[in-house]
Amino acid sequence: MTDVPGKSCILRATRLCKSVPTAEGELVILDGVDFEAAAGESVAVMGASGSGKTTLLGILAGLDLPTDGSVWLDGDEISALSEEARARVRGRCVGFVFQSFQLIESLSALENVMLPAELRGEGGAKADARTFLDRVGLGHRLTHYPRQLSGGEQQRVAIARAFASRPKVLFADEPTGNLDTGTGKRVVELLFDLNRDSNATLVLVTHDAALAERCNRAIALDGGRRVA
Amino acid sequence: MSPAFALRLAARDGRSGELRLLLAAIVVAVASVTAVALFADRLQQALLSESATFLGADRIIGSSRPVPDAFREAAAARGLSQTDTIAFPSMLFASDAAGAANQLVGVKAVGPGYPLRGVLRVAEEPFTAGRVVRDVPGRGEAWLDSRLFPALNLRLGDTVAIGRARLAISAVLVSEPDRGGSVFDFAPRVLMRVEDVPATGAVQPGSRVSYRLLLAGEAAQLDGLRNEIEPLLVPNYRWRGIQEANRSIGDALERAESFLLLGSLLAVILAGVAVALSAHRYARRHYDHVGVMKTLGATPAEVLWTYLAALAAVGAVGVAAGLALGGVVHFGIVASLGAYLPITLPAPGWQPVGLGAATGFICLMAFALPPLAALRDVSPMRVLRRDFQASAKSQAATYGSAAAGALGLVIWYSDGVWLTLWTLAGSLGVAAAFALMGLGLLRGGHVAGMQAGSAWRLALGALRRRHWESVAQITIFGLAIMLLLVLLLIRTALLDQWRAQLPEDAPNHFVMNVADDEVAAVQALLTEHTDYSGRLFPMIRGRVTAVNDVPADEWERERAMPGMDDDRLRSERNLTWSDALPGNNTLVESQWWPADTAERLISLEDEYARSYGLSVGDELAFDIGGLAVHARVANLREVEWDSLQPNFFIIFSRAALADFRTTHMTSFHLEPGAKRFLNRLLSEHPTITVIEIDAIVRQVRSIVARVTQAIELVLALVLGAGALVLVASIQASHDARMREHALVRTLGGTMRLIAGALASEFAALGAFAGLVAAVGAEVTTFILQEQVFHLGYQPNPWLWLVGPALGAVFVTFVGGLGARRLVRSPPVLVLRESR
Repeated sequence: MTDVPGKSCILRATRLCKSVPTAEGELVILDGVDFEAAAGESVAVMGASGSGKTTLLGILAGLDLPTDGSVWLDGDEISALSEEARARVRGRCVGFVFQSFQLIESLSALENVMLPAELRGEGGAKADARTFLDRVGLGHRLTHYPRQLSGGEQQRVAIARAFASRPKVLFADEPTGNLDTGTGKRVVELLFDLNRDSNATLVLVTHDAALAERCNRAIALDGGRRVA
Repeated sequence: MSPAFALRLAARDGRSGELRLLLAAIVVAVASVTAVALFADRLQQALLSESATFLGADRIIGSSRPVPDAFREAAAARGLSQTDTIAFPSMLFASDAAGAANQLVGVKAVGPGYPLRGVLRVAEEPFTAGRVVRDVPGRGEAWLDSRLFPALNLRLGDTVAIGRARLAISAVLVSEPDRGGSVFDFAPRVLMRVEDVPATGAVQPGSRVSYRLLLAGEAAQLDGLRNEIEPLLVPNYRWRGIQEANRSIGDALERAESFLLLGSLLAVILAGVAVALSAHRYARRHYDHVGVMKTLGATPAEVLWTYLAALAAVGAVGVAAGLALGGVVHFGIVASLGAYLPITLPAPGWQPVGLGAATGFICLMAFALPPLAALRDVSPMRVLRRDFQASAKSQAATYGSAAAGALGLVIWYSDGVWLTLWTLAGSLGVAAAFALMGLGLLRGGHVAGMQAGSAWRLALGALRRRHWESVAQITIFGLAIMLLLVLLLIRTALLDQWRAQLPEDAPNHFVMNVADDEVAAVQALLTEHTDYSGRLFPMIRGRVTAVNDVPADEWERERAMPGMDDDRLRSERNLTWSDALPGNNTLVESQWWPADTAERLISLEDEYARSYGLSVGDELAFDIGGLAVHARVANLREVEWDSLQPNFFIIFSRAALADFRTTHMTSFHLEPGAKRFLNRLLSEHPTITVIEIDAIVRQVRSIVARVTQAIELVLALVLGAGALVLVASIQASHDARMREHALVRTLGGTMRLIAGALASEFAALGAFAGLVAAVGAEVTTFILQEQVFHLGYQPNPWLWLVGPALGAVFVTFVGGLGARRLVRSPPVLVLRESR
């Protein structure tokens, strides 16, 4: 695990709290968590099931709002923005890779990768998408639909889609959780290679210690608190 | 995000089959509404124009004064066809020799072009069917009713005199279209030219003359003319259409219209439900899709616009395809039934097409937009946690708007607030009750299912597990089945009533002016030559002069209901006496008098009594042939006016009219082939009057037959829309069922077990829905029959068997078709696809 000294901070969260009302009373999911990541840095978020990792990832990426505390992403305090404004920030500088791939079933591999650029209204989406699918080794399966692809292939399409949006920060939630060991390894290689080439910040949620080892550093959560 | 991109997304969804069900629902919705609207519109137009033949025109302006030229000019300016008629009673002389045979006749003088609607039939011999002619009598000619020939011993070519004019008989008049309005204008008809009227000298100031201006043309032009001349009509001229002109035809048409509307209304509701179900399924399958789009930077507004664009695209394609399909279906119906439809349908207008398109889009907005608009609020966190869905608040709001939209659509479409409100009250009230009953049945079913075989246990367990979904399905199936049952019941009730109103052997001839000493002979002749079994009623003309010592005109001013100006209390009426209540009369207040009563009593027709504020116990004074008669109102009764039996507003006790000489009348049925009997009747009793109304009865019956056909066609179309709802509803729960059954198969369940469980599940759902539908159908039918159609309610015990059986068979069949792939597919494929 290595630090990346001298780089500016692109993602910072202070005293993040998240709680939800339940029938038994208030359930605290995150309790005063601080976080920061420098540009180009890779950070692993570790912890057992229910420790609050996925909630933290959602809040850091602007998918959800904290109950308390604030999040700054690429100069914007996204915890103070509306859903509308947060969506624009996400479109501008965030990419995602999910455990369950989250490809759109009704779109082909190529169309799935074109989607971020199309949402931003940019031209040249098709050529760009082709390039990224070539880079993940799926240049020959452009017109295939997700249900016609294996799990590993689907995750590679998801990675191509994530990098096609040229994100400043890439959030990955257990990207190998649904894959066998061999396929998982190849997907991880691809993820880190592309990340290095694009110089994006990587926030990786995992409970796989070996995977966390490959990041610049790791933090650990337990019961909603940061313990390392 | 550009609209082009939104449309591209919609196209991609469409290509992958995601939008197919929604599109199919809209196509079928628009198609069924368009087909119903097109057919109903054309049939209604045809029925109206057919019915207009009863008037001889689309509208008439009638008066006892000549019609001013200003009316004619205004009608001409609007491009309306017009012609005049003048009707007056006169003596017809067989020749102009002194002491020649004569007879009181009803003269109708007509202008060129008469009749504007319907046809004239003439013959060369009396009492034959005759042929249709397009002309009117020439100048100096007259066409005479059959019965005048034996009565006055006339032949074609003879000359007759009316007033000072001499006219040559050029044809036997068999029927004229607008005779229906003057059935009780007892005198036989003579048709002549308007231009010859001045020569008769019969029309003088003070004569009893009825002038009519007949009008025909576009409804809009006719309405425009009415608005233009309305101020000039009062108080001397009356504007009449078919509804006002003939009560029984008007009622039949009004009911038919209500029924066609109800049919279309149900098609709209059913189609809307199908659209809503498909849209819900589409939206539910897009929660993840939206979550991903939002993580990639799509804003809520962009999500909304994306789906609006998709909806608009689907709407445009669906409406276009639906209109085309609706047109084809409607042409198909017309073509296949062409041979059976006894009338030629007019060309379809654009209005039904516009109605179909508007209905499609409004349906889409009211039923499909709410679930799709709710996608706007799907949290992007859904990509990480699947339990994030659209908020309950936004769902409630969207359902509210769907309900309001649907209500608006239904009211706008039906244009009949009462019918709509009763139908909706029935449907909504029953929907809530259905949900409760459905829940109860599911619980009961589950307990029973624990004792049953494994397929049933699996089926009832599955229903119970998805109990809210199952309750919703029972409610929707129940409503669909209920609507179909209601339609079937109302149709049967309407048809039964119409048929009962005009039985095959309904009287079609009236005999009047039978003298006291002829009664026995006429009765014997009728009994011998026809299946006559009635009796002759004494008849005398008279009028009311006072009520409880208040002069009749004063009483009328104070007590009569508004709008009674044509049938005045003081008008001269046909009166009769009777010892017993006549057959087709029903007492509604007080008792009939004993046959041997010496009291002077009268029985009044209920509506007549209420119109003039008369009640049991009132003393009425009459002027009968110049003599005063006093009598007390003893009872009120209802009369079946459509029965074509001799009917009277006022019936006296025998004692009241004992001092008067009366003539007698009756009605009887004569088969078309037996018309020559009239020759014998009239030559043996030349002073009696026979009125033939068989042509009118035939016309009424043919209208009833056509309306029946229309009703059956509409019923078939609504059935189609109902089937679509069932398919959409089963499709809506398809994904959940697929997942469950794939799991059961993975755990070792055989295809046979799955097929059995699915069939049992559908059968149970259908039977539960059918049972609650039977309850709802009884309630709604009761309300509709009592409040809307005024038919009188009869319970329908067979519903309780047919409802559940129909539900079970139909849902199992439709559900089974949709689930075939589910049973046959390898479980791994199902699991992967339903992931």
